[in-house]
Amino acid sequence: MVDVERLREIAREVISRDDVRQLIGYRQGTYGFRARPAFITSPEEVDQLIFSPACVNNLATYLTLEEKLPVPRGQEPDLRKVAVMVKGCDSRALVQQMEEKAYERERIVVLGIPCTGVVDMDKVEKRFPDVLSRGEITLEGDKFVLSFDGQREEVPKEELLADKCKRCRYPTPLVYDQLLDEAVERFADDDYSDVLELEKRSAEEKWAYWEEKFSRCIRCYSCRNVCPMCYCEDCVLDRLNPQWMRRSVDISENTAYHIARAYHLAGRCIQCGECQRVCPVEIPLMELNRKFYKDVEELYDYEPGTDAEAPPLLATFKVDDREDFIL
Amino acid sequence: MAEKNNDFEPNIVAFLCNWCSYAGADLAGTSRIQYPPNVRVIRVMCSGRVNPLFVMNALQQGADGVLISGCHPGDCHYMQGNYYARRRFALMRNFLEYLGVEPERVRMSWVSASEGAKWKEVIEEVVSGVKSVGPMNKFQRRQLNW
Ligand code: SF4
Ligand code: SF4
Ligand code: SF4
Repeated sequence: MVDVERLREIAREVISRDDVRQLIGYRQGTYGFRARPAFITSPEEVDQLIFSPACVNNLATYLTLEEKLPVPRGQEPDLRKVAVMVKGCDSRALVQQMEEKAYERERIVVLGIPCTGVVDMDKVEKRFPDVLSRGEITLEGDKFVLSFDGQREEVPKEELLADKCKRCRYPTPLVYDQLLDEAVERFADDDYSDVLELEKRSAEEKWAYWEEKFSRCIRCYSCRNVCPMCYCEDCVLDRLNPQWMRRSVDISENTAYHIARAYHLAGRCIQCGECQRVCPVEIPLMELNRKFYKDVEELYDYEPGTDAEAPPLLATFKVDDREDFIL
Repeated sequence: MAEKNNDFEPNIVAFLCNWCSYAGADLAGTSRIQYPPNVRVIRVMCSGRVNPLFVMNALQQGADGVLISGCHPGDCHYMQGNYYARRRFALMRNFLEYLGVEPERVRMSWVSASEGAKWKEVIEEVVSGVKSVGPMNKFQRRQLNW
């Protein structure tokens, strides 16, 4: 577990540097067990920072979300760095963003958090409904310990752990300037059992499954907005000419939306699970992303977000790529 | 609607590259080779121009099947376009299959400018494949009755 005092001390050092303008980390949320992003600009604010298994957000998203307004004549753009706290999976988003040349490595300071897993807030809230006063979650051995309202509850890790952490291949960040704790060994692996199970079904069964899921989508686009890899300024979903998706919420346009979103993340999605976490109607978006993740690994031996020097998957090819499906 | 499979005539949208497949189809025509008339051809400059969303959009707008055809590997007029197309298409085809769109509906082929006879075979294969899975009735645009 990351020691909070050490975390704050390092953060204080970093934000005091002249070449750093902002530090993005986590702080206690307003109610319940939640944690939320903290945007720190001065050393005085550093004492808000925390890290716990409640820190689920992928902060890499904020690096590309920031709006870059045109600089008025005579003024210099603020080129100071942004520091960001990342878990293992989040760090892969940074790697993939750099692979795509979203920004230069020198523009960011990475504080890596070796991670032992985060909770799934839905599971926590199902188990402890209506906890409004602030509570805390820590990991002790193989149990999550939840303290709230003077109570202390222990729950086996397995029961509250987020699904993505059950298949996490890179718990220690792949890119960092400073590591906030000892590196952790890989404790899980991905066997794609969920994707394999779906693949076995007949075409009718598959469509029946997805039709029900897609028909629930309200097209709020939260899944796109939260995604660290969805940072195109001119997004195909917003385009009016050509208009790939109409605005109506019906099964045809919803399906088109889900095909386009998932396809645009083919070979880019780094499995942070944020899209599915924020979906208000519980559409299993990871099952779509993971199909591509699996195919890309099988067909092209490529894993997104692991090598910042590799060319992006669909911007390259091998002469002997598989083609047995071509007439 | 409600057509019986044996007299169902599919609509197939074919994206053909200007330099090989379009010329191949043209050769089939000038050589008076007979092939099923179910194909609506859209000429693109290169199979690498085919955005995977074209496939999705065609299926949405009433196509029962989609064919993408380009030059054989190594013969691309732009050197590499068909290699990129091959990767994109492989992923798209697997993904549509995962959603329940039969793989018979989305096909890709290499047809060169001299392969009028192969064009006929490709079209026969595609048409019979789409006929075997019937009309596309999954996510095309339709009028809703509120
Ligand atoms: S996926 Fe891995 S790195 Fe990410 S939160 Fe879970 S355990 Fe940590
Ligand atoms: S698609 Fe989902 S899991 Fe993949 S990078 Fe985006 S938010 Fe993360
Ligand atoms: S977050 Fe869920 S409801 Fe919103 S657009 Fe994405 S899939 Fe649809």
